[in-house]
Order: sequence, then structure tokens, then C-alpha cells
Amino acid sequence: MTTFIARRLLQLPIVLLAISLLIFGMMQALSPEQRAAAYAKNEQQAKNLDVIIRQYNLDQGFFTQYTTWLKQALRGNLGYSKQSHEPVLDTIRKKLPVSAELALYMFFPTLLFGVWMGTMAAIHRDRFVDQVVRVFAIIGWSLPTFVLAIWMLAVFYGYFKLFGIGRADDRIMVEFAKGTLKAYTGMITIDGILNGRWDVTFSALKRLVMPVATYTIVASAQIMRVLRSSMLDVLNSDYVRTARAKGLPERVVNLKHARRNAIIPVVTIAGLMFAFMLEGVFFIEIIFNIPGLGQWSVPAAINLDFPAVIGIALLTGLVVSIANLAVDILYGIIDPRISFQ
Amino acid sequence: MNPQEMKPQREVWYRSKTFKRFRRNPLAIVGSLFLLVFVLVALFAPAITAPQLAELRTARPCLRDLGIKKEEALTALRNPLNPVFWKATLAPPPSCYEIPRDGYSPLPKPPSEKHPLGVSGGSYDILYGLTWGSRTAFYVGFLVVGISLAIGIVVGGLSGSIGGTVDNLIMRITDVMLSFPRLIFVMIVVVIFGNGLTQVMLALAVVGWAGYARFFRGDILRTKTQEFVDAARALGASPLRIFLKHVFPNAIGTLLILASMDVGSIVLTAAGLSFLGLGAPVGYADWGQMISFARGYILGTAQGTPFDFWYVWIYPSLMLVLFGLAWNLLGDAVRDALDPKS
Repeated sequence: MTTFIARRLLQLPIVLLAISLLIFGMMQALSPEQRAAAYAKNEQQAKNLDVIIRQYNLDQGFFTQYTTWLKQALRGNLGYSKQSHEPVLDTIRKKLPVSAELALYMFFPTLLFGVWMGTMAAIHRDRFVDQVVRVFAIIGWSLPTFVLAIWMLAVFYGYFKLFGIGRADDRIMVEFAKGTLKAYTGMITIDGILNGRWDVTFSALKRLVMPVATYTIVASAQIMRVLRSSMLDVLNSDYVRTARAKGLPERVVNLKHARRNAIIPVVTIAGLMFAFMLEGVFFIEIIFNIPGLGQWSVPAAINLDFPAVIGIALLTGLVVSIANLAVDILYGIIDPRISFQ
Repeated sequence: MNPQEMKPQREVWYRSKTFKRFRRNPLAIVGSLFLLVFVLVALFAPAITAPQLAELRTARPCLRDLGIKKEEALTALRNPLNPVFWKATLAPPPSCYEIPRDGYSPLPKPPSEKHPLGVSGGSYDILYGLTWGSRTAFYVGFLVVGISLAIGIVVGGLSGSIGGTVDNLIMRITDVMLSFPRLIFVMIVVVIFGNGLTQVMLALAVVGWAGYARFFRGDILRTKTQEFVDAARALGASPLRIFLKHVFPNAIGTLLILASMDVGSIVLTAAGLSFLGLGAPVGYADWGQMISFARGYILGTAQGTPFDFWYVWIYPSLMLVLFGLAWNLLGDAVRDALDPKS
């Protein structure tokens, strides 16, 4: 088990290097002047691009350019974002907790709801419950996140005025800006507790209802499908029949014997979902007016602010490779056979 | 004996068990009918929107490129005997994809006789945008899936037939491609190569091949172990001949069917991107871009409810969802028919 984890950990830097090479390779389509402008902090520097080009080896060969760029990136110098008027790394540092908080609240309800629906559908195969779940899954699959988000916004924000948009009440955001509330982690629901202010946490949680509900409806369908089909396979297997023949209660057979073994493909999907959740987070931030990474980087892409987008791409590469690694290790824990291959 | 009678009866697709299973699935029929309606709307978009083309002044470039005057537009575009009808239906000039505007007022107007589905903010005719938007949808969907499929078949074919280190290397690259979010990739492409529908389509095509490559590789590996391949090898066929004549044709069928079912999800993805502003410019007949008009009217109506301007966002989003639903119903039925176990 330890060697298995160690081997996978050693692969991580190689994957990261490959991703950075890919991104840098695509950047070659830009002229050295354009790439130099990314490092310019003000008008003065932007006028003397030649200096920057020489400083960052942008007039050298591909390999020298790449190592210089990578060294700078590793030191945290990702360039300067026109969109946020500050270094890319500073913006990422500020906005990452906002997006991460949203992602965490979106991930678990989606996973649990998907697993629950998949189990119900498989156990009650071809009966009413199954049909309802399958129709729900097809609708969930055909509804893009942004369309459902717009509908939710119109109904619950515009018409019923039940939930607000943004992260928390304006009053609370002003308190954070003034410093009477301290932002320890940057995640409002946690900061509220750390400040001893339950009303802050509650206000933030209330505004998470629409985003989380939107994403759960759209994304749990995929998990449900995968679990349903793998669970149907397992329910037909010999050892499940044996367990039934032993006279075990149906509940134990379904949940202990069948679902535990059927969950492995769900781990893969959950890992992939983590990557695709980034897309969902971006759409939801833009529609529900949450000032996270998406609300900064998507307009940045449209305004051709390329240091911002490259910064986001590198961050994504990191998150995705770590998620893949976590899935691999989780596999080994759930199914010990895999780590001995 | 007549040698013709000795020929084994050729299996035709419409008599196969798979197709029978597909035909008996009511959801498949519903999906197919929906899709048929979309195809008809897309095909006859010029005839459907002839009144708008004839009346709105901003539709002039389209009429000019078609070579007709506004007085004859209504009759010409609805008369199959007129060559202009066929030109507009089969190869309309790009200027026809610009939604004509009725003035420049930022306020939407409800459905009226002149605009059966109303106009959105900026006075864009909604009916025109929806009908021509379905053309954009099919175009984007088929082109993107086609290009990804071509790359996927080449890469997966190489990976599956060569094997060894090459296979291993290609599969690691596929892993990375599969888990890299499409939105981020499109953003990189837009920032480097500029914003536009072409760039976004190419980005989606380039990022989409990995799934097909992996699937095709798996199918090739499976087909390679079959007895008829062994038989061909025993008869002395060259590896190239075995691949082209025996492995490839037997492995490709399922991939083609499954890939064609991805058109729907690609269209939904592309619509999402153009909702964000990545893709077609404002005023282009594209559903996602039309939905982006809506957000302002939901957030910004201090007086009244968002349903005052319901036609701005309900029509395009319903179109998009029904399109996705049609493909998914079809795709679900196809997968069930191919794999009766699930």
C-alpha cells in the first residue's frame, strides 16, 4: 500500500511538468512583446518592453524561455492582471477561498443525493421509483447549469424574493471591509463562527441555498446513472445471491454487500466531477454574483488579459492532478486488489 | 444449385435486434420526433422568417447577399420553384446569421404581430434568433463532434494497434485531457487566439477527442482477440491488412453511434460558453448568447417582476433544453439498445 501511494506521488510532478509544458507551448503563439507585457506593472514599464524581454530571456530559445518562465511561476510571479489591477497570485489568493467554499458546499450534497438516488433506482429496478429517478436523471442531464441557474434566479430571487444573491448581506460585507469582522480564512461561513457571529454564518448559508440546489439537480444525475448500472451488475452476482440465501435481511444485502462493491466507479466519476465542478462554480459565480475566481477570470479571458487566464490554467492543472491522485489512492483503500497490480 | 441461393443472407441494420429494441422504446420515438422538428425548423429557417427579413431594415445585408429586393422577399423565400429559396435554405450567406433589429431600444417588447415572439433588449427579433439559432446549433454540434472523432480515431487507432510504450504514453496524455475542464481550455484558446465562434469550436474539438480515443482503443483491443482476426493471421494476411479489413470496420460502429449522440451535449456546452461571452459576437443567432440578454432583466427590474420580460429568457432557454432533451432521450435509447443488460 505504501509503495503504491509513493509511486503515485512520484508521478505527480511529471504530470504537472507536462501540463505546464502544454500551456507554455500554447503561449508561443503570442509575440515576445505580448508575453513581456504580462510582467509590466505600470505604464512606465510597459513602455520599456525591451528591458523586460531581456530580463525574462524572452529573446532566447524555447528551452531557456521555458525554464525562466517556470522558475518565475514557481516563485509566485505569474505576471500582472489588467482585470484586477494587481499581481495574478494576489488575486488568486483572495478569490480562491470564495470559490473553494462554494465548491465544498456543492460537492457533498451532489455526491450524497446521487448515491442515494442511484441506490433507490437499482433496488427498485423497473418499478415506479426507478422510472421517476430515470426521468429526473434525463432532465438533469439536459438542463445546462446556467439555464437552471437563470430559472432559479427568476423564480426565487426575482419573483418570491426568498434568497439574495452575492455572498452575504451588504451590511455584513461592509463589516468585513471595515475590519470589525476579521476574515481569518476567507470563507464566510467559517469566519462567522470564528468571529463568534452566528448571524454571519446563517446569512451566508442562506445565500448558498440556490447555488447548491442548482448544482445538485444538474450534476447528481451523472452519479446516479453510474451507481445504478454498477449496482445492477453487482445485484446479479453470485455472492449477493449467496447472501440472500443465507437469509440476511434485504437491507444488509443491498447496502453492505451490493453498494460497497458498486461504489468504485462512483469514485472515478466523483474525481472527474471535481474537475468539472470548476466549470459549474464559474457559471454559478457569474450568475449568482459571487466574487470568486470565475467572476474574475472569465471576463479576463474575454478582455484578453492572458496572465490571469494562464494563472487559472496552472491552478486548474494543479487541482485536477491532485484530485486524480486522491482518486487513485482512494481506489487502493476501497479495493485492496488494485494496489497489488 | 444456383450459387446465388448459397449466399448467406446479408444482415441489414433495420432488421437487426439492436434496431428492434430501439424502435420499441417509446422514449426513443419521442426523442426522434423532437429532433425531426428541430431539423425542419433549422432547414426552413429562411422560409419561416421571411416576414422579418422582408420588413426589418437591418436584414438588408442578408437580402442583398441573397440577391433579392425586400418587396419580393416574402414570395421568393417561400416558393420552392424559385432558385433563391434553395440558395437561402442550403447555403445562406453569413450575413443572414445576424439577428435583424427593430430599432435600438434597450427595452424588450412583448410578442406582437410583427414580432411573434417579441424582441429582446437591443430590439433583436427573438423568433429570428431562435430559428436561425437552431442552424448554428446543428452546425456547431456536428462540426465539433466530427473533428474530435477524427482525432480520436487516429490517436485511439494508433494506441490500440501499436501498443507498448506508445500506447502507455498516449493513454497518460488522454488521462490529462479527459480531466482538464473544457471551460478553462476554451479560455486559454480565446486569450491566445482571440474570441469568436471558430476559436471556441476548435477548442472544444481539440479538447474532446480524448474520450473517443480511449473508447476506440478499447474496442480495437477487444476486436483483436476475436477468432476471425486469428483466422486472417493464420491465412497470412499482413498486419496492415488485418487492421484495415478486419479490426477497424468491426471496432468503429459503436463509436460512431455513441459519438453522434454527443452532439446534444456539445451544443449545450457551446451555448453555455457563448452565454459567458466566449464565442459568437452579440447579435449572432445563437441560443446561449440570446439567454445572456436575460440576466440583466432578471436582476435589474426594480419596478415589476422578472416575469414582465419572460419572453426574453423563457423562449431561448426552452429551445436549448428541449434540444438537449431530444438528443439525450435518443442517446439513452441507443445505449440501452446496444447494451441490453443495463
